[in-house]
Amino acid sequence: GAQILLLRYTSLFSQVLEAIDTRDGVFCAELLSFKHPHVANPRLQLSSPEDKCQQVLEPPYDEMVAAHLRCTYAVANHDFVEAYKSFQAHKEENWCSHCLRGQAEQQLQKKGKGKVGDMLEKAAEQLMSCFRVCASDNRAGIDDSKKWGMLFLINQLFKIYFKINKLHLCKPLIRAIDSSNLKDDYSMAQRVTYKYYVGRKAMFDSNFKLAEEYLSFSFQHSHRSCQRNKRLILIYLLPVKMLLGHMPTTQLLKKYDLMQFTDVTKAVSEGNLLLLNEALAKHETFFIRCGIFLILEKLKIITYRNLFKKVYLLLKTHQLPLDAFLVALKMMQVEEVDIDEVQCILANLIYMGHIKGYISHQHQKLVVSKQNPFPPLSSVS
Amino acid sequence: MNRSAASRPRPHSRKAGGRRREEHCKTEEKADDVAPRGTCTTMCPISEVRQREAQNRLHHFEVLAGTERNRLPRADVCRAVKEYSRPAAGKDTTRASELRPPDVLLKTVCYLVDDVAACPSRQPWTEVYSFVFDRLRSVRQDMVIQRVSGPECASVLERTVRFLLYASYRLCGQPLRLYDPHINDTHLQESLSWLLECYSEGQHQHQDEFQALSLLYNLGSPRALQHALELPHKVRHSSPVQLALALNRAYMERNPVRLLRLAQRLDFLQACALHRHLLSCRRDLLLLYSHGHSSRNCRFPIQKLADILSLECSLAAQLCQTHGIHVNGDYVVFSKGSFTESPSEELQCAHMHKLVDDKQQDLSLSNIIHGIA
Repeated sequence: GAQILLLRYTSLFSQVLEAIDTRDGVFCAELLSFKHPHVANPRLQLSSPEDKCQQVLEPPYDEMVAAHLRCTYAVANHDFVEAYKSFQAHKEENWCSHCLRGQAEQQLQKKGKGKVGDMLEKAAEQLMSCFRVCASDNRAGIDDSKKWGMLFLINQLFKIYFKINKLHLCKPLIRAIDSSNLKDDYSMAQRVTYKYYVGRKAMFDSNFKLAEEYLSFSFQHSHRSCQRNKRLILIYLLPVKMLLGHMPTTQLLKKYDLMQFTDVTKAVSEGNLLLLNEALAKHETFFIRCGIFLILEKLKIITYRNLFKKVYLLLKTHQLPLDAFLVALKMMQVEEVDIDEVQCILANLIYMGHIKGYISHQHQKLVVSKQNPFPPLSSVS
Repeated sequence: MNRSAASRPRPHSRKAGGRRREEHCKTEEKADDVAPRGTCTTMCPISEVRQREAQNRLHHFEVLAGTERNRLPRADVCRAVKEYSRPAAGKDTTRASELRPPDVLLKTVCYLVDDVAACPSRQPWTEVYSFVFDRLRSVRQDMVIQRVSGPECASVLERTVRFLLYASYRLCGQPLRLYDPHINDTHLQESLSWLLECYSEGQHQHQDEFQALSLLYNLGSPRALQHALELPHKVRHSSPVQLALALNRAYMERNPVRLLRLAQRLDFLQACALHRHLLSCRRDLLLLYSHGHSSRNCRFPIQKLADILSLECSLAAQLCQTHGIHVNGDYVVFSKGSFTESPSEELQCAHMHKLVDDKQQDLSLSNIIHGIA
């Protein structure tokens, strides 16, 4: 948008009026957003702008602009709580509460007042009511429809739900988009964000094939120049791909500064449980913070499979003594493992389809199929 | 311009925290006021004692000995305990004379544990449970209204959680009209998450114990696990938490053999926390083995199976049969085609409590709930 020097609030008013008259929603939103440079102008920071607004503008714009001005005043005085409260009073119109809410959270956290979670939940309630207004907008023609706002709001809601760890709340929103005929017509940026969150939700639900589909889309279509975004998507895409048997190249990891995954990758493909445990411990903090530690632990099963396949290839027989697997596990310094546990691990691998065969307890042997006893990982799960 | 947030109805969630918000809503409107401070020095406010006495609504645990057969039994002031009452419009729950301050609340809880719950002469225990459950709920209600927090709050909640965990094991299998596991679970989860919130500030002597209990009770829950991973280093690496995490790991890796073996190391209360998951762990083992050992010519010894299931032979055989696994004398024959999911009605969790039972030994209930076990 054009840079506009707003020296006095009257200029702001005339700009808003003009935008309203010409139905320039985008420009109007910009004027009332916090990304516009005018917010830094001290002459626009009024604590009680209501009267002035009412003189010039009609409802509901008078209230909107007044709220915005109260906000700029509050923000200038670093009172984010007050600023957030002004936004709250205008839930129908204000779509830019996001960054303000974030700052309000931070401030509340510092003051120790209340809980971040509660503030976020309140913000989510506000956004939900905006969402419902948009979703139910059947009156206007498609160009003017409020339905265009849906994806933006949904993405904001997803962000909150992930932060407060209430992922189940995403479900109705996903359903709304799935049933919408606009879903492929939203901007690519919005769709990338949407698929990122839905992909992460699928991961959480252990629906890895679906997660791969969404996160891959998100990764491929996110803007080339946005390294940060691509890296973020990759953090979640990588574990999913590894669970499906596709290991990333060191080149890829280097490009996106994700070297934390190198040892994990190496360990899994070699069937090296010891290295896997070490790698997970070494970068624990990073993995936990990203929320992927638990998923990476699932890679243990793939690692067992790879390790046991090596045993099979080494012994070159179809009747493998269980003891051989026990020895392999002990070499990997797996603590306190015995033959009973070996049987259980093998039984699980057979159940999941990673091994074709059966265990004979009497003969203490694993008997594998003569054909393709260790099917490729991508064909299983 | 200034639309008050308080006039909007608050969201109602049945999950943990929902009930607290419901009981909080009356005080939300006075959000800027100081929290009410109770002044009642007895376990039950005198006004309530008189009222319930007059209306013949005393619980028989509260009745003065010798007056039970009267038309209007008399209250024993030393044994009357404030009951839980639903918040209602127009009802003022903040009268100081009817609120018990934290020290009285703790004394009340100790009375409920030592003189009611742990008292062997009080039978049946389902009745003891109902009474204690309700009175503990009222204690929590007083805490919510007065916004009690910190160590005082933790002391009360710790005993509540231990009591509810013990009850979930002791009353497992009782008919629904006498004990409802879902209701117990709701209150247990609520108290547990409130307790864990208390722990987020300051040092607490029993934090390790309860973080572990939460992990065991919520076996396999990604939320509980993520919370545990984010705990301060010292707590996370304490032995109870490490053991609980190891059990969770075995569960996530789908290794019930390992899980049941690790379960041997749990103490009595930890075993109570885990116990509701045992049935499905055992079933899972049989499912995996049905697939892994699926072969017409192979036999698996019942004794060995019983060992890894942590069950007696006869029970192990029974469990196999309910899941469609063919039992042949001292052996079973696994077959992936014959395993059935639906267990028969007769074989309940309660019949397989030995793993937990054995751990109680001569521990007194009183010590278990106060945490001096």
